[in-house]
Amino acid sequence: MDAHQVDQAHPKEKLYVKVALWLALVTGIEIFISYAGLPDWITILSLVALSLIKFLAVVGYFMHLKFDARLLRKPFVGGLLLAITIYAIVLLAFTLHDGGV
Amino acid sequence: MATHAAEIHDTSTGIDNTKLAMWTFLGSECLLFGALISVYLLYRGTVQAGPGPGDVFDIPFTSVSSFVLLMSSLTMVLALAAIQRGDQHRTRIWLAATALLGMTFISGQVYEFTVFVREGFTVRSSSAGSAFFVLTSFHGAHVTLGIVMLLSLLGLSLQGKLPQERATAVEYVGLYWHFVDIVWVVLFTLVYLIPIPSPS
Repeated sequence: MDAHQVDQAHPKEKLYVKVALWLALVTGIEIFISYAGLPDWITILSLVALSLIKFLAVVGYFMHLKFDARLLRKPFVGGLLLAITIYAIVLLAFTLHDGGV
Repeated sequence: MATHAAEIHDTSTGIDNTKLAMWTFLGSECLLFGALISVYLLYRGTVQAGPGPGDVFDIPFTSVSSFVLLMSSLTMVLALAAIQRGDQHRTRIWLAATALLGMTFISGQVYEFTVFVREGFTVRSSSAGSAFFVLTSFHGAHVTLGIVMLLSLLGLSLQGKLPQERATAVEYVGLYWHFVDIVWVVLFTLVYLIPIPSPS
């Protein structure tokens, strides 16, 4: 049995609460940025980056993907990357074609 | 760092097959929501008549809804931790809290939809309206299904049919619930917070 294939122990409850508090803080920063009146490209990049941090925190800690067997990452990350690739191509194609829908 | 011992399952991979299937299902759900999000991003700037999404969104209200759903992920993971250590009382409290937070989120969505329709932003008012309501309704349907599953677990627990040995049932429902939460994390940013281009 590959040691990486075995589920590792899950974290303590205090860590879950800490992660939740960080998530709440990041959500607050997102809202601040959306009202800050920054240039669009800075707003978009910042919001996408913060959203990615929240996404990874929930998947890693609350869904335990950080602690579970690595094999479990493959079907989810595979589906996620496939979705991002396909729809990025679709969005790009529509944007380039006649300047959008 | 451990609340329960590491597990090795009697399968060729050493992983619980149902858990692997659950993750595969969630991977496929990424494609479903990816399609709906893409359609919204393509059409959000196309408003033929009436108000557009940017005219009706109430960011502070939706932020509170987002916070509620985010906290439901915390109560869900606490329910799992409770059942894994055999604490039935706290399992029930956290499951009930998660279902309650989910219902609060859905109530907020129903209220939000009602306000949008009253202001003239409907599923038929524009392509942006169609894309928005289909996307957020699909997510709402997922949350509603999650609430049904949580209440079922709570019912089983109250009947004494959810012992510590069946903690995996809570884990599977938890995975689904957290997925619904991360979909909203993405939707909240892409749909509500990112600036909308001027209507074409």
